[in-house]
Amino acid sequence: MNWAVVSFLAYTGVLAAIGIWSFRIVERVPISKYEKEFYAAGRGLGGLIVAFIIAGGLASAGTFIGGPGMCYAYGYSWALQGNFVIYMNLMLLAPVGIVVGVVARRVNAVTYLDMFKARYESKVVIVILAGLVTLFLLPYMGTQFVGAARVISQMTGTSYIVSLALGSLVVLIYCVLGGMRGTSLAILLQGIIITIGCILLFFGTVNHVGGFKKSTEILAGLDINLLSPTMGGAFPPAFTFSIACMIGYFIVGIPHGMLGALTFKNSRAMKRGIWMGAIFLFIWTYALGFSGLLGRAINPNLTVPDEVGPWLAVNVMPGIFGGIILAGIVAGIQTTVAAMAIIVTSSIAKNVLKELKPSISIREIKIASRWTMGLCLAIAMALALFEPPLIQWIVYFSVGGMEAATFGPILLGMFWKRGNKWGTLAAIFIGMILYSLANTALPQLKIFGMHAYFVPLIAAVFFYVVVSLATPRPSDAVVQIFWGKAQ
Amino acid sequence: MKAARKSLAFAFIFYTVFLILSFVFFYGLGTEPYLFGMPLWAAVGVILFPILSVILVIPLVEHFIPDVPLTDDKEEEKE
Repeated sequence: MNWAVVSFLAYTGVLAAIGIWSFRIVERVPISKYEKEFYAAGRGLGGLIVAFIIAGGLASAGTFIGGPGMCYAYGYSWALQGNFVIYMNLMLLAPVGIVVGVVARRVNAVTYLDMFKARYESKVVIVILAGLVTLFLLPYMGTQFVGAARVISQMTGTSYIVSLALGSLVVLIYCVLGGMRGTSLAILLQGIIITIGCILLFFGTVNHVGGFKKSTEILAGLDINLLSPTMGGAFPPAFTFSIACMIGYFIVGIPHGMLGALTFKNSRAMKRGIWMGAIFLFIWTYALGFSGLLGRAINPNLTVPDEVGPWLAVNVMPGIFGGIILAGIVAGIQTTVAAMAIIVTSSIAKNVLKELKPSISIREIKIASRWTMGLCLAIAMALALFEPPLIQWIVYFSVGGMEAATFGPILLGMFWKRGNKWGTLAAIFIGMILYSLANTALPQLKIFGMHAYFVPLIAAVFFYVVVSLATPRPSDAVVQIFWGKAQ
Repeated sequence: MKAARKSLAFAFIFYTVFLILSFVFFYGLGTEPYLFGMPLWAAVGVILFPILSVILVIPLVEHFIPDVPLTDDKEEEKE
């Protein structure tokens, strides 16, 4: 009996049951509270689930497949990137969590773009951002499904198409039926599975290779640069610094990270979400990264580095543990897709529809939400049929693009009263144009070997400030909502 | 708003200190002598220091990020 298949199917069955159960919860909620329930899980989530939502949402296939793959390919020089992943929850919730928590309750914001609507009072900003979110996140979701399908296929022996269906259809079930309520229930199970899977893989790999000392000797024999913090100059400190900024200071620019900030029930839950997130991200990142690194010492001949995690699970771990690790890796990917599906759906089905047809009823939004969610996931699955190469670079590309456009309007918008919609539009356009140029015709914008997003982001922030100062102030109503005391 | 600014300042200061020390360990310690069977910079910068920082962040978050009511409705806050 193939234990990997059995345990993975059991996990998938539980997720499907969660989807059906959460559907019943959402359906029992009065129609007037539907949006809050479907998109923000009633805004009543505790610290552990908030920790998992943000950590699981931000740590994608890039972490669960790409991370071990990059450590396999580039040795310790990539393992050090894990340091900056640990504090994603901190750098998202601590800077904006309190403001989002207060304002979301004042204006009944349940989506990412509701916050923009409250702050910038602009239909154009909402429609452009919805387009941007869809443009970057749909292909990103597609790559996540590719990662999941590859892992399932490699570990169970099923075809790529069947594996794609196995990894993605269940996400469609619990997202479409249960919305954020279904996602939050699923993520609790997934967070636990991910953690157990990562720990099993790490200890199994260390045990198999015979410890770090032996693996370091083997790695040094293969290529001494694998022990260097720069991979012999391939990753200079400036590159590492730009990545540290991307997943640290600028992380508030990531739309799907905002979900956690919209759903926690009180500031105590937010604080727990921060430090619990640090613990889980530490375990996930290092357990997987070091497994990939040590995997090179066990088998240096893998042609696709991203396959090291599943290869270890199949060849190093006993069958039943292999199934748990498989479920853990796929769960890590599914949490990201679910968070993105909620963000994209809410942007289109709630915000854009409301802008285009202000008289739309909640019942109509309810129907539109489920159809849009189903459609988005179906498109992502269709995109997954085109298999991209190394996942990590695509992840960084999408994240960098979103941050270049939205970091200034989000962070400065929360703390600087003078910021306005004109500054936001300028930031989005400048960020996008320069980011496109940095990736194509003007690679010189990647100064000192930094990632392409860095200069566009700084320029976008500069233009946000300058254009805001040169144009009218935001309305008194906005100032009252964001900086005023309770009425 | 004061609480939000304090929380923002804490996050940026904590992460900046973490970043600086990480870089000092990564690029300042060198590879030998090995520690725990791995290069010295990795053992200190990628294992010991992150573990210490994660342990430290728990009391720091609880202390420096204030508990504030998120709603203007006192009844809802009690719930």
